[in-house]
Amino acid sequence: MIAVEQLRYVRLGTSDLVAAANFAQHILGLELVDQDDAQVAFRSDFRDHTLVFTRDPRAGHSIGFEVRDSEALERAADALAQNGYEIAAGSPEEAARRKVKTFLSFDAKGVTVDLVVRPLHSGWRYFPSRDAGVTGLEAVALRSTSVAKGEVLWTKVLSGKVSDWVGDAAYIRFDTAHHRLALHPSSSSGVLAVEFGVESVDQLMQSSYFLQDQQVRIVHGPGRRPSSGQMFLTFTGPDDVLFSYVAEGRTIDESTHRPRQFPRRARSFCAWGSRGHLPEYDTEHGATAAPGGRS
Amino acid sequence: MINLQKVCYVRLGTRDLEGATRFATDILGLEVSEWAKGARHFKSDAREHTLCYVDGDPSIQVAGFEVANKDDLDQAATELEKLGHAVHVGTREQADARMVREFIAFSDPTGNRIEIAWRPAVSGIRYHGTRDAGITGFSHIGLCTTDPVRDEAFWTQVCNARVSDRIGDAALLRIDEVHHSIAMFPTNRAGIQHINHQVETADDVMRSLHFLIERRVNITFGPGRHPSSSAKFLYFEGPDGMTFEYSSGVRTIADELLYRERQFRFDPKGFCQWGAKPQIREFM
Repeated sequence: MIAVEQLRYVRLGTSDLVAAANFAQHILGLELVDQDDAQVAFRSDFRDHTLVFTRDPRAGHSIGFEVRDSEALERAADALAQNGYEIAAGSPEEAARRKVKTFLSFDAKGVTVDLVVRPLHSGWRYFPSRDAGVTGLEAVALRSTSVAKGEVLWTKVLSGKVSDWVGDAAYIRFDTAHHRLALHPSSSSGVLAVEFGVESVDQLMQSSYFLQDQQVRIVHGPGRRPSSGQMFLTFTGPDDVLFSYVAEGRTIDESTHRPRQFPRRARSFCAWGSRGHLPEYDTEHGATAAPGGRS
Repeated sequence: MINLQKVCYVRLGTRDLEGATRFATDILGLEVSEWAKGARHFKSDAREHTLCYVDGDPSIQVAGFEVANKDDLDQAATELEKLGHAVHVGTREQADARMVREFIAFSDPTGNRIEIAWRPAVSGIRYHGTRDAGITGFSHIGLCTTDPVRDEAFWTQVCNARVSDRIGDAALLRIDEVHHSIAMFPTNRAGIQHINHQVETADDVMRSLHFLIERRVNITFGPGRHPSSSAKFLYFEGPDGMTFEYSSGVRTIADELLYRERQFRFDPKGFCQWGAKPQIREFM
């Protein structure tokens, strides 16, 4: 099994780089790190960057996970190949664009996974463009047409563990956080939502009113996940990718935690009773509008 | 000085006692403590009752306050009469209907009906709500004022209330360590402006938000957080246009000597630090 150290970044292809960068900076509230004609990178915490928009009309998605060293990377290549994944070794140019020493990438059904070694850290304090209270990249939610296969990849080949299931949706952890990756059964594949932590309920609710004022469509929440205990607010970003702010949430004690199975229904996704306006989060219809939430 | 201990009940007139009862139990989540002829008493905490709907005109809106002993009650009556307030001494029957030993009734300078009660009944049985709203108890009232300067003087000089904060000219007044038990809102009428119940956590506030939306209850303000008291809140409309509030996390003021009241702006930002905009007449 290949030990995954950390979720590092999300790279999202977009046909409108300017609009995407504008969203990340002024709506989401992240700090612009650098930009050129091909990509714009944003910081959310101590990492050099955690979100990148790339000029790509096909709007491909990739997520980066860190492994310890190049030896681990080689072992990962072998293990993945054995499990039928086609591995591409990253070129030095591509590694430079990702600000990592070396990396490999493979296609995990609709989303490209980068396993990276020595990604850049920043010695400078994170200073965002708006006071959204972001504390860092928390998790990525993927939509997947084959969740079972995904679960095997993330928990058998790589070192993830399932923390909880809601129906067949799996929350997978790599460290003490309840999850860094969520796999949602869906009719399509790709990144469903990129989730950033915020300081507290105050920042979450302030953003909920801010987003309404900015006419950003809120698709789920504000709410609280019964599984992770996180408060969340999910809204639409560029190219149909969702973004969430999350706050609080439990950490996992490896010695006592057993994954739990929650029923697949709306209240398993929100303990406050908010309804998700997406098939991945809601099996029922008839959602109503909430003040302080979606418009 | 009239020494008030706590706000202890609200009496509201209604032409639809059954409808009001349904709201108080199924929506608000209180527990019926007594079904009397022409009156319904509701429990929200360890007290025998904190809300009573009576058959009658909706303009009947009475706030009850508790005093510590009989001397304080008698002294209050004397003081109010000296100031020219007509004081009604409650009959035994009226006191029984309020579940108190004795009480007096008068109008404050705006004309709000106020009762001062001695020995309100405490219940031996714990409160168990009709629905799991997480209510921990009846906590404060908003009162209308037609002259905030005059009324602030009445509550703080004739009575023992202290100003905790002001939003514009609306004074938030405490009579114990809770940030406010009375909130005075300038308007052109007399009466109770809102009725607050505390709930356990912010989760309860948010759960109720979705519960109320599903039942098509008119949400008038929130969810939000008051910068003054730090409480997370939700305001909504009950029978006869009365505003009800759930809130959680109200601050307490332990150090009377060090605390200084603050002035907040009379605008949405003064009422909510999350950005909610009120649809309540007295907050706009």
